[in-house]
Amino acid sequence: MNLEKVVFGFFIVLAMTLNFGFFIGDIDNASHHHAYELYAAIIVSLIATVLKFGDRTHVGAILLSTSLAADLQLIAAAILWAALNGTYDEASLTVYIVSLSGGALMANIISVVLLISETISQKR
Amino acid sequence: MDSILFLILRRLRRPLILIIVSFAIAIIGLTLMPGLDDQGHPWKMSIFDALYVISYTATTIGFGEIPYAYSKAQRLWLTFSIYLTVIPWFYAVGKIITLLQDTGLRQAVTTERFAKKVRQLQEPFYILCSYGQSSNLLAKALDEKGMRVVVIEPQQERLNELELIDTRNTIPYLCADAILPENLERAGVLHPLCSGVIALTDDDNVNLAVAVAVKLMNPDLLVIARAERDDIAANMASFGTDRIINPYTLFGDQLAMRVHALGTYLLHEWLTGVPGDTLPPPENPPKGRWVVCGYGRFGKSVVENLEREQITTTIIEAMPELTGCDYCIVGSGTEAKTLLEADITNAVGIVAGTDNDTNNLSIVMTAFELNPKLFVVIRKNRRHNGRLFKQFNADITMQPTEIIAHECLAHMISPLLAQFLSLARGQTNDWANKLISQLVMTMGETVPETWAIRIDNEDTPAVIELMETGLNVSVQHLMQDPANRENQLELVPILLLRNNVPSLVPDPNTRLKAGDRILFCGSPATKSTLPSILNNTKTLTYIIDGVEVPNSLVWRWLEKKFKRKSHHTESA
Repeated sequence: MNLEKVVFGFFIVLAMTLNFGFFIGDIDNASHHHAYELYAAIIVSLIATVLKFGDRTHVGAILLSTSLAADLQLIAAAILWAALNGTYDEASLTVYIVSLSGGALMANIISVVLLISETISQKR
Repeated sequence: MDSILFLILRRLRRPLILIIVSFAIAIIGLTLMPGLDDQGHPWKMSIFDALYVISYTATTIGFGEIPYAYSKAQRLWLTFSIYLTVIPWFYAVGKIITLLQDTGLRQAVTTERFAKKVRQLQEPFYILCSYGQSSNLLAKALDEKGMRVVVIEPQQERLNELELIDTRNTIPYLCADAILPENLERAGVLHPLCSGVIALTDDDNVNLAVAVAVKLMNPDLLVIARAERDDIAANMASFGTDRIINPYTLFGDQLAMRVHALGTYLLHEWLTGVPGDTLPPPENPPKGRWVVCGYGRFGKSVVENLEREQITTTIIEAMPELTGCDYCIVGSGTEAKTLLEADITNAVGIVAGTDNDTNNLSIVMTAFELNPKLFVVIRKNRRHNGRLFKQFNADITMQPTEIIAHECLAHMISPLLAQFLSLARGQTNDWANKLISQLVMTMGETVPETWAIRIDNEDTPAVIELMETGLNVSVQHLMQDPANRENQLELVPILLLRNNVPSLVPDPNTRLKAGDRILFCGSPATKSTLPSILNNTKTLTYIIDGVEVPNSLVWRWLEKKFKRKSHHTESA
């Protein structure tokens, strides 16, 4: 067992699950989507990205790119929230944010699929 | 460059994670702390505001308490946050600075930049595998001629010099050992535009290793290498090194050429000089008995060549058993006693050829006092002693570096030039003198440009086009001024190569044929004018017929009409 792999897998899966937790619920209902959950998703996603730095294998490179895609969308959602809060009607703002996080969720799912497929193809 | 980016990212992994975690904790804590707004209502900071506050706090910018004055709880958390975030922040900054100063990383960056510069070269270029005294001269001459050069040199001090001099084109350089094949590859040995590799280091073994590596990596590439030991030279020759340069034999050769045929020697010097330089007036060494001091590699070559010209020599050598000298006067030659023993008063010339500059100067000064009519040949070993040698003003100063540079240039300018020079050596002195006076008459006394052209579709489309229409194009036509055909351009064709048969200084009335190769010698301005004749059918037609061909279709049509009309009236 390799501690590095444990930490790595943990953060990738946690990034996806947190993202999913934020995403789930009515898309226009603000009370189904908590700000702290988005916050946690962003932090974990950032950590997962940094953990992938410097991995020069092919899978490592793809994992880094999916992770960057997830970060981009989550941060875009957070910026929207911070910038438009109070100036926009709540339901449509929530739709924007949640749909962006849905995009990030897709990227995170690909990350996890890649991680699983790499684990399965491991020979020992 | 990719690998460097990943290296930086990997090293920054730990500080970045520390920053993210500490910021995350500080931000979340700050949003949870109860506070009061300006009206005294309970208020909690939003995540965005907290991010803002923590960002300016961690980076020690410190804008103060924004947007409202903080409560005790918020201040308490912020105090904790300062220590939590500022330390990882400085840790990360420090890490980045150490990373940038890391010699390994900097070396990787400069190497990568060098390789990139070489990859981006769009013109033919030569690789110099050192930047010593002769390479230095060579680089300058090539740059003057507008050729591109790439330098690999293991000593940084020499490269500093390269960095400071003014050049026409930038010279990419790398501080590395050319003996490693990967450095040769970075310098562009496999680049399609690389025209040759020149290995002129002081160490024969390095030159040998470079020559072997280049011939293995790219067998068609021109390789010029310096070799002072005969076994190394033979080894180099065995795998096809194109030109092996031994400065000592070269000088002996040239000295003999001077004694034997001064004109030929002059021609040689002139055609391989740096464009724009003027040549010093040549001295013709006298025939008679010479005294040679120092019987090392240099002395041996001098004696051998002088004896070939039926000149007798007296040798002075300090260590005869070491140099294998059977018949000589033992001594260094710096004292009058030894020189008198060699009967200096009745000699016509002296060669000071030891490997010590001070001794050489001392020898010739003593000898000069004993016999002021002596012809003095002195060997100069170190370039920085140039001032002293200039002061003494010997008849011939032998400088290995210059000889090497000239010889390399002869091969690098064009393979035709090397061929011309070897053919010229077989000619008489009168022939050479006649050619020199012709060259001086055409383009003055500064060192001319030499360049080769080939009659084919790529180099000379206009010539080919006119030849296909059945016109006679002769060498003479390439020598006329495109602005006024009555005037001659400042150039002389010195070699014509047809089906591998060379003819020296071809007759101007020679008809050109496709596939001919011509070596021209002319002023730099002419070198840039000539292509307008070779590429432009209109210009060439004007030179041949004196007729200006109209450019546009309409004018051509009108001219045709007009010609036909005049033809009709004439016949009627």
